[in-house]
Amino acid sequence: MPVRITPGCCLLLAWFASANGWGTLLLVLAAAAVHEAGHLLALPDGTVRGLRLTVQGAALDIHSSRLSYGRELLCLLAGPAANFLLAAAAVRLRLHTLAGASVLLGLYNLLPVRPLDGGRAVELAVSWALGPRAGENAARSCGGLGGVLLAAGAAWLMISSGGTLWLLPPLYGFLCSALRELRGGGDSFSCHSTQPGTWKD
Amino acid sequence: MAAVQTGHTVKKRTAGRGRAPVRRTVGQSGDRLAMQLAVCGGAFVLLVAAKVLLPGQAAVLRQSLGANLERNLDVREVFSAVGRAVSGEENGAEEVWQAVFRPLEPDAWTDVPQDPPSGTDTALPDSTPYTVGPGQAGFALDVLRQYRPGSGGAEARPRPDKESGAESGTETGPVSAEKKSGAETGSPQSDGRALPDQVNMEQSILNFDYCTPVFGTLTSGFGWRTDPIQGVEKFHYGVDLAAAAGTDILCFADGTVAAVGESTSYGKYCIVNHAGDCSTLYAHCSRITASSGASVALGEKIAEVGATGAATGPHLHLELHRGGVYLNPIYYVSHG
Repeated sequence: MPVRITPGCCLLLAWFASANGWGTLLLVLAAAAVHEAGHLLALPDGTVRGLRLTVQGAALDIHSSRLSYGRELLCLLAGPAANFLLAAAAVRLRLHTLAGASVLLGLYNLLPVRPLDGGRAVELAVSWALGPRAGENAARSCGGLGGVLLAAGAAWLMISSGGTLWLLPPLYGFLCSALRELRGGGDSFSCHSTQPGTWKD
Repeated sequence: MAAVQTGHTVKKRTAGRGRAPVRRTVGQSGDRLAMQLAVCGGAFVLLVAAKVLLPGQAAVLRQSLGANLERNLDVREVFSAVGRAVSGEENGAEEVWQAVFRPLEPDAWTDVPQDPPSGTDTALPDSTPYTVGPGQAGFALDVLRQYRPGSGGAEARPRPDKESGAESGTETGPVSAEKKSGAETGSPQSDGRALPDQVNMEQSILNFDYCTPVFGTLTSGFGWRTDPIQGVEKFHYGVDLAAAAGTDILCFADGTVAAVGESTSYGKYCIVNHAGDCSTLYAHCSRITASSGASVALGEKIAEVGATGAATGPHLHLELHRGGVYLNPIYYVSHG
C-alpha cells in the first residue's frame, strides 16, 4: 500500500514534538495508527489504494464504489471503534494518557463533518435509507452547519484556554469543509482529510 | 457507466451511487498556483515593508506572535485528565476542565508591581494591587513566579522537632495532626542574610479573620534553607505543615478561588484571593475540591493534603501574599 507524507505533515509533527515532547507525539501517533488499522482490518482486500499523511491528518484512499453502503459504513465506523477499544484497554492498564488520546481521537473523527468519519457516515446512512441525493443533501447540511459551529467552537477554545495553536489545523479544516458544503462542492475537497480514513473514489 | 467529456476533464458516474469523481484540469492547476504565488508574494512584500517602515510596530507584532506560538495548553495533561475521566475517577470532568483552561501568560497582567516595596512592619507601602478574575485560572501563580526566580519549590520530609511560631488573629479549625519522623534539612537560617525582593519577615496585621488551614507539624519554615531535593541554599517562600495524606485543607479566610492548577513543582495547587489584597497558596495537594472562581468561606474545605509535585512527603505548603509581597505565614497559623 503506497504511503505519501507531505512536508506540511512533517513540519507539524516536528513542531508538536518540540512543544509537547516525543512521548506525547508517540501517543498521538499510536492512537492514529490504531484508528487506521481499524479501517484497514474492516476493509476487504483490494479496496485500499493508499494512505496520505497531511497537515490535516491521515487519509485512506479507497475504491468506495466497490462497497455497499452498509459495508462501507461498517468499515468507516471501525476506525473510531478501534480507538474506543484501545482506550478501554488502556484504562484497564491504567495508561490514562493513552486512553485520553485515543478517546479524543475517536470522538473527533465522529464529528458530522466531511471528510471526517462522522460526516461520511451521515452521508452513507441517509443514502442507504433514502438514496444518494438525500444522503448528499444531509451530508451538506450537517457539514455546512456543523463546520461553522465547530470552527467557532475551536476558536473559542483557543481563546479561552489561553491560546493553543494545535487547534488551528482542525479550525481551518472545519472552515474549509463548511464553505465547501455550503457552496455545494460535494466531495471535490481541496482541504485535506483529518485523522480518520477518508474515502475517495 | 455514463461518461461526459468536458474539456480535458472526464466525469464518470458509477451506477447506483449518484456521485462522480472530479479531476482538476491543467489550466485550473496553473491558475491555482498563480493565485497562491500572488498571495504569498504579497504577504512577503507587506511584511518586509512593515518591518522597514514601521520597525516598532513590527517588533511588537513579532513579540506578540512569539508569545502566541509559545502559548500552549498541556496536551499530555489534557489526555491524562480525559483518560482519568473515562476510567471513572472522581471529579474527572472537573480535572478535564482544569487541564484545558490553563492560566494565561504573565504578560496578560498589567497591574503587577514592578518595584520592590520599601519599608516594613504593619504599614506596607502602597503597591499596585493585582486582581485575578474568577475565570482566569492560574494567573496569580504566574504573577507570583515573577517574584521567585529559580525557586524550585522542593520540600523537606517531616521531622519530629517542633518549631515555635507567634500566633495572632482569630483562629478556628480542628486540632492535631499526625507527626512523622524523618530527616530534616529545611531549617531556615537566621544569620542576617539579605532577604529576597518582595519578602517581608515582619508580622503584619491582617484586617480580616483567618484560621489555620491544616493542623500539622511544621517541617520547614519561611526563610533561607538548604533545599532538600536540590541541596542548595534557596529561600523558602512559605511554611510546610506535615499531615496525613487526605487531611482536609481549610481555607485561610473568606475569599475567592483565583486559580486551580497543577505544576511540576507545586503539584496540585490552589490560590485564593482574600480581602486587603491578600492571597494564599496551597500546594502539593492530593486533591483540590474548590472550583476556580468559587467563593469560599473561612474554614471551608478546599483541598486535601498530598505529596504531589516536588515533595518528599505529604504536607501542605502554604504561602501568604499581600500586594505582591511574601509574608511569613508562621505568624498566622497554629502547628504541632
